[in-house]
Amino acid sequence: MRRAVLAAALAAASSLAFAQAWPSRPVQIVVPYAAGGPVDVSARIVAPKLQQAFGQPFVVENRPGAGGNIGADFVAKAAPDGHTLLMGAIATHAINPTLYPKIPYDPVRDFRHVTLLIQVPNVLVVNNDLPVRSVKDLIDYARKNPGKLDFASGSTGSTGHLAGELFKQLTGTYMVHIPYKGSAPATADLFAGRVHLMFDNLASALPSIRTGKVRGIAVTTLQRSGFVKDLPTLHESGLKDFDLTTWWGIMAPGKTPDAVVEQLAAELARVMQQADVRERFAAMGSDGPSVRTPREFTAFVERELRTYAGLVKRSGASVD
Amino acid sequence: MEVLDNLMLGFSVAVSPMHLLYALIGVLLGTLIGVLPGVGPVATIAMLLPITFNLSPVAALIMLAGIYYGAQYGGSTSAILVNLPGETASVVTCLDGYQMARQGRAGPALAISAIGSFFAGCCATLIIALAAPPLAEVALKFGPAEYFSLMVLGLVAATVLAHGSLVKAIAMVVLGLLLGLIGTDVNSGVLRFTFGIPELSDGIGFAVVAMGMFGVAEIIGNLELKDKREVFTSNVKGLFPTVDDFKRSWKAILRGTALGSFLGILPGGGSILAAFGAYTLEKKMSKNPERFGKGAIEGVAAPESANNAGAQTSFIPMLTLGIPGNAVMALMIGALMIQGIAPGPQVMNEKPELFWGLIASMWIGNFFLVVLNLPLIGMWIKLLTVPYRYLYPSILVFMAIGVYSLSNNPFDLVVMAVFGLLGYICVKLECEPAPMILGFILGPLMEENLRRAMLLSRGDPFVFVSPSKPISLGFLIASAVLLVIVMLPALRKKREEVFVEDAT
Repeated sequence: MRRAVLAAALAAASSLAFAQAWPSRPVQIVVPYAAGGPVDVSARIVAPKLQQAFGQPFVVENRPGAGGNIGADFVAKAAPDGHTLLMGAIATHAINPTLYPKIPYDPVRDFRHVTLLIQVPNVLVVNNDLPVRSVKDLIDYARKNPGKLDFASGSTGSTGHLAGELFKQLTGTYMVHIPYKGSAPATADLFAGRVHLMFDNLASALPSIRTGKVRGIAVTTLQRSGFVKDLPTLHESGLKDFDLTTWWGIMAPGKTPDAVVEQLAAELARVMQQADVRERFAAMGSDGPSVRTPREFTAFVERELRTYAGLVKRSGASVD
Repeated sequence: MEVLDNLMLGFSVAVSPMHLLYALIGVLLGTLIGVLPGVGPVATIAMLLPITFNLSPVAALIMLAGIYYGAQYGGSTSAILVNLPGETASVVTCLDGYQMARQGRAGPALAISAIGSFFAGCCATLIIALAAPPLAEVALKFGPAEYFSLMVLGLVAATVLAHGSLVKAIAMVVLGLLLGLIGTDVNSGVLRFTFGIPELSDGIGFAVVAMGMFGVAEIIGNLELKDKREVFTSNVKGLFPTVDDFKRSWKAILRGTALGSFLGILPGGGSILAAFGAYTLEKKMSKNPERFGKGAIEGVAAPESANNAGAQTSFIPMLTLGIPGNAVMALMIGALMIQGIAPGPQVMNEKPELFWGLIASMWIGNFFLVVLNLPLIGMWIKLLTVPYRYLYPSILVFMAIGVYSLSNNPFDLVVMAVFGLLGYICVKLECEPAPMILGFILGPLMEENLRRAMLLSRGDPFVFVSPSKPISLGFLIASAVLLVIVMLPALRKKREEVFVEDAT
């Protein structure tokens, strides 16, 4: 008993010491995906800002693999001293825990959810030759031509896939899911008309919508997006409570001391107010995150986890 | 002439002193990382992304593009000198380039690959300037069915042309196909042959396999030789290609450039396929194909031209459609996003200085590269005089760094070592690694596209030969013709060896 108390006191003291000293050496921001994607890019946008503020290098390191699980697991098991951070995302912290039968970390308990950086709507886009201009048109078309429509996605279990499955369930229609390796080849087949529609990430779909390469129909979020104000939400088009947002943010190992988390969150809040950061995040299709504090972020992750557990199970998608 | 106006605009942007400087930095860095085995453009560009914050978008793109095609140049250097594919696309260059080096002809090999790359780069740049948008439309014509049929042709060409030990070649292709199965099935999400190892769930990296099968295996093999270890420098026969070399090479360069420019446009490993394709084509066209694998200069000229042309034209889908064809292009899109530019079809119209500036800088960068690389040849040759006991540990260290940098995971090093052993065993069994590599690349792509095409056709296999898909039909007919040629016993004697690498 006395030993436990002593240990606790020691731990508290050392975590205090850590907090005061943090960051005492270079900080690693682990991106669980390959370089160049939006998650990676946003890490590389905030890293130099944090470096400026804290006077230690913030190094972005890509540890891709297993849908992001390898990088997430690496951070879950890293020393909880604030020197190893993660760009945790909807895949690693909401979808994969249900999609994969075995997952080596607990998305809630093994992490401190520091700051939600980006939330991007998915947008329903259709090939220009498809005689569909609204959600209602699409539902009618799908009912008249059962089994004819194909929807593409970047991978099995991606938000694009799940959005399509949710759409099918809510409308009672049938479409065939065509999975690709990443959204780039999927977009190519959408342009060419080999697949009919896609629930693409707004940032990557926006240029093709604006130049008329594809037709935007609706966004998957509850609120309309500031970037495509004329596009209705699926929710307002009759698909009640259709709400799906791709998101990612900074996380730390589960036992990281409060002081470090708060310090980091406060600085990230400042960084996100800076004009150049806001402009670059806007280029990724983010209107700004809906939750601000670490506590809200954790609650958000728990909510998302529940939502997608249901969604993934009903979609029948799995990786095993 | 709108194109001329545009090119003028491009050159006016590209020749500004700052942009020249960034092009130079880019190609220098690119050459360097290309020479270093394993350290590829993806890792380098990712590390440099934050630096591009403070540059203008044009300068950033010029520099990053320079790194990419500079790496294609540099990749051939280590392939030729030490049988190490410095860049994934230079695997094919190892076949004849290394043999040339063994015969003391590393100089001509390096020179012809620089010249071929320069020519290919210039042609491809011109192609982008003249026809980027229509070519992007051609790329869109390639759907799953067309890809599948193209891969069938590639695989048939490789196995059918292999000879000597046809059985071994086929066995190696099949081994490659099987290794390619490892990972997550795209359609169902089922994990195949991963044995519960999460690192295997995305399959084995191509670079890791190539590095092990070629580089590590070569080192093990060399260590075994003890006293007889090869010294390439004792019989260096001139640094520059002879007239005869040029006579042999120019057609190969032309054909390689054409094939590379075309395959580069197609997303997904275009420049690697281009290099393999160009080599196969050259061997098929050659009057004395038995020279291939024993230091034929065409076997260096063709794939090097092809991979450089492919590297340039792979910008087309990225610039005109906003669709990245490979990992480097995905990074370029990331770089543009950092700059607040949403990549896509509008870039060409809204930011002509960016689009045309980049194209003009490619030509300038290619010029820098050839000017830089030709004088360097003498220095590279000197590198071979370094005693092997110093050379091989350094090579191993660089390979280890390179492979680790791919995904910052020590697991990849273990995989490389395993493939090094496998490569050594294959050398002992006289099984060539090249067919395996081809099977490894083509297998997963073939399967993915076959199943996607079948999904889209709702299970109708005739989709591959339907008149509505003339491209697919054409490839399959060509494959069938090739097969028939081999089946005919009369023609059998003429069957050539594509993949025999062993010069002994």
